[in-house]
Amino acid sequence: MRKEFGKTFIKRFLSSLLTLYLLVSFLFIIIRLSPGDPTNKYVSSQLSPDLAKKISASFKLNEPVSDQYVAFLVNVIQGDWGTSYNYHQPVLRVVWQYFSFTFVFALLSFIIQLIFSFYLTIFIVNKRNRLLDKIVSDMSLIVYSIPAFVLGVTLIYIFSVNIDLFPISGLRSLDFEGMSFTSKIFDQIHHIILPLITLSAAGIALFYRYLKDNIDVVLNQTYILHLKASGFRNKIIMTKHILPNAVRPLISVAGIELGILLGGALITEVIFGLPGMGRLTIDSILARDYPLVIGCVFTSGAVMIATNFIADLIKIKIDKRLTVELMN
Amino acid sequence: MNLKTPFSFLIIIIFIFFSACDSQNHKTENRVVIGISADVQTFNPLFAFSVDEGVITELLYLSLFDFRWNNEKGELDSYPMLAERWEWAPDSSHLKIFLRKDAFWTDGEQITSADVVFSFDVFSDPVVQSRMYGNFRNLYFDNENHINIKKTFTIISPYELQVNFPPSSIPSLDDLSSPVLPQHYLEKINREELATSESNLNPVSNGAYKLTGWDKNQAITLSADTNSFLFKDGMIAQLVFKIIPDYTSRILQLKKGELDMLELVKVEDVDEIKQVEDLRVTALSGREYDYIGWNNIDPVAYGKGKIIPNELFGNSRIRKALTFAVNRKEILEEYLQNYGQLAVTSVSPIFKSAYNNDIKPYDFNVDKAKDILTSEGWKDNNHDGVLEKDGNDFRFTLYYPAGNPLRDFASTVIRNNLKAVGIEMDVQTMELNTFIDNLVDKKMDAWMAAWYIPIPVDLKNYWYSDLEATPRNFVSYQNKEVDKIIERLETKISGEKRNELIKKFQAIIHEDEPVTFLYWTPDICAYNKKIKNINITPLGAIMHCWEWTFNQ
Repeated sequence: MRKEFGKTFIKRFLSSLLTLYLLVSFLFIIIRLSPGDPTNKYVSSQLSPDLAKKISASFKLNEPVSDQYVAFLVNVIQGDWGTSYNYHQPVLRVVWQYFSFTFVFALLSFIIQLIFSFYLTIFIVNKRNRLLDKIVSDMSLIVYSIPAFVLGVTLIYIFSVNIDLFPISGLRSLDFEGMSFTSKIFDQIHHIILPLITLSAAGIALFYRYLKDNIDVVLNQTYILHLKASGFRNKIIMTKHILPNAVRPLISVAGIELGILLGGALITEVIFGLPGMGRLTIDSILARDYPLVIGCVFTSGAVMIATNFIADLIKIKIDKRLTVELMN
Repeated sequence: MNLKTPFSFLIIIIFIFFSACDSQNHKTENRVVIGISADVQTFNPLFAFSVDEGVITELLYLSLFDFRWNNEKGELDSYPMLAERWEWAPDSSHLKIFLRKDAFWTDGEQITSADVVFSFDVFSDPVVQSRMYGNFRNLYFDNENHINIKKTFTIISPYELQVNFPPSSIPSLDDLSSPVLPQHYLEKINREELATSESNLNPVSNGAYKLTGWDKNQAITLSADTNSFLFKDGMIAQLVFKIIPDYTSRILQLKKGELDMLELVKVEDVDEIKQVEDLRVTALSGREYDYIGWNNIDPVAYGKGKIIPNELFGNSRIRKALTFAVNRKEILEEYLQNYGQLAVTSVSPIFKSAYNNDIKPYDFNVDKAKDILTSEGWKDNNHDGVLEKDGNDFRFTLYYPAGNPLRDFASTVIRNNLKAVGIEMDVQTMELNTFIDNLVDKKMDAWMAAWYIPIPVDLKNYWYSDLEATPRNFVSYQNKEVDKIIERLETKISGEKRNELIKKFQAIIHEDEPVTFLYWTPDICAYNKKIKNINITPLGAIMHCWEWTFNQ
């Protein structure tokens, strides 16, 4: 079994690499064919047409796309993803500056989504078919449907403008450097609460609905009735039989959700002024910063593939029969 | 659920309350917080391409001269800055500059003539690709626009240097306005690597303020440099540029008192801001105008290398008719709430000495527009509501970059106005980069855009007939009389003659109406009343901020 797993693991890893290669190659060609010239802002109107052409040529964008592509691949193999036109820094360094925040922010949001939805579902399952069950189910649909920018602005209006409980935007106070260690921690938590609620609300609603539906399906299985008739305690039935079976389908959704979160949350980042991958990706596209666009998309693609892969590993851990099916 | 849950919630609420109180306890006095929309990528003026980078690097790096806006004359006056004084040769062939001896870099080194020469060398070096490359036309330069240092500069002493100008040039202090850079700090770096150097993020500067904090994507903190010759007791100790990408968040923070100053406020927010007791609002117009560009030449023929007049807009009488047909005043009153003013030509009313007050804007006059169109052969023969000539309908598409509510409003008004005279106009928005590409390639017949005008007046880049040499002449306007005026302006003439020529230029442009000049849009700035000595001019609000103080 272990040998089988190792073999399929390598196969899956190689196919992931191929997917990323195709993604980056496709993007490389598409952005060069799209309109817009990144060299425009570097060319002064005072320059003679010859010198203006020379400046544009220094970006090597006048060369055939095939030549640019080969040079790009050779550089990437050597670990050089190029230099961002706007940041004047290596692409990987710029991406890391933004991804490090997104990683922590997304992970926190993901954990909150899982914990809240889990406990909410368990709480509501115990009150099945009662009024509260219906209210929470309807509410979860409403919360899931609210766009992030509406929720974010509403939260700011209530908690920042009217009650003055949280800051309107930013990751830290302006006087952060002068604070004590504990004050710094409080300050960061204080700043991140509204963005976390904005980012997590829809995910909580989504996970809640998935988990609740799955539990409802499992609860209607005859073996549960059999267990109840055999005198097993409800807690045992829930933890040992219902939850493991109900959680399994959720893992794939959670893997995709985590991948999306790690790719950046543009709306939340813009509203709350946070330095995440979503903003970086959009800004680089609008500025036609070709090397950075590729760096951002590669990172998002890689994390999406990685999180799905991890989700599959977790599913295999729960049910070993899935090894071959999932790894292929 | 048991008792643990409400207890946990209680702890969370106490925690939030405590953290809220804790954050409020750490506020620095004597600082001004200014809202900006995006972070900077460099503190080196060589590569300060964005507006915010320009503003911040101008505070960090001083120039030889200080330029201030003279509101009476509507032109720039020069004052000493790093140059204590200067002497022009009687024939303007050279300029002697005497540097201050009390000017230092933030690392304690003294500012010398060598720094000045190095700065011009590096700014004009093609390898560096600085933002000012190509802008030193009145100095000696080689065929790659690199300043010839030996011919241009003579260092007399560490505090005295001479700048030599080519015989045919018309030099001014403006030619030497680029910031002075630290030679001892930057010369060690290979020039090809300057753009990516770490030194750009750790500046050794010479301004009244120095960089003391940069929390990336959050805030940039500049603190008053007590060693600067500009330092005075009572000046604002800290300037914080707070980065807030979302406009609504910026407005909310301004109203809440978290920001002390915000530029580029939208007209629709002015009334609410005025309700806030601590805030004051100023609106200046005259640096940017909106216009409808009518391509004077045929875009298809231009693509094939031929220049022939545009079938619809190649005739100045038709362009004038279009201007008569557009109710610009309605847009100004309804959307801009009269902040701003109607534009007559590309020369701004802020240039009081050069502005031609005799020219009045064209009225909104539907009858006149119809008369001109009829006299030019455009008639609705088939009664379908659209004018025809030689079997062709007067129909076109107006393009403009997406995401500008003013232009959305204006395009609706313009479409309705033109329909009333029998012209069918479609409207299409475009992504900004695609729009610029099409502008540069002259692919569109009609578009709506804006120009941010330079100070002092620059005509050649926008209106000279040589389309290869002036890529910003997007409408491809060509007029030999205007060319002559522009060429005269490049010769040695008195200020009076210069103003006279610019006035004449305006009269010709008004007659030719190469574009429909819409209105000068306002630059609205809101700031806290506690800040004293703010002088908001067409040069901006933050310039000379070392003169700001707080009301006691």
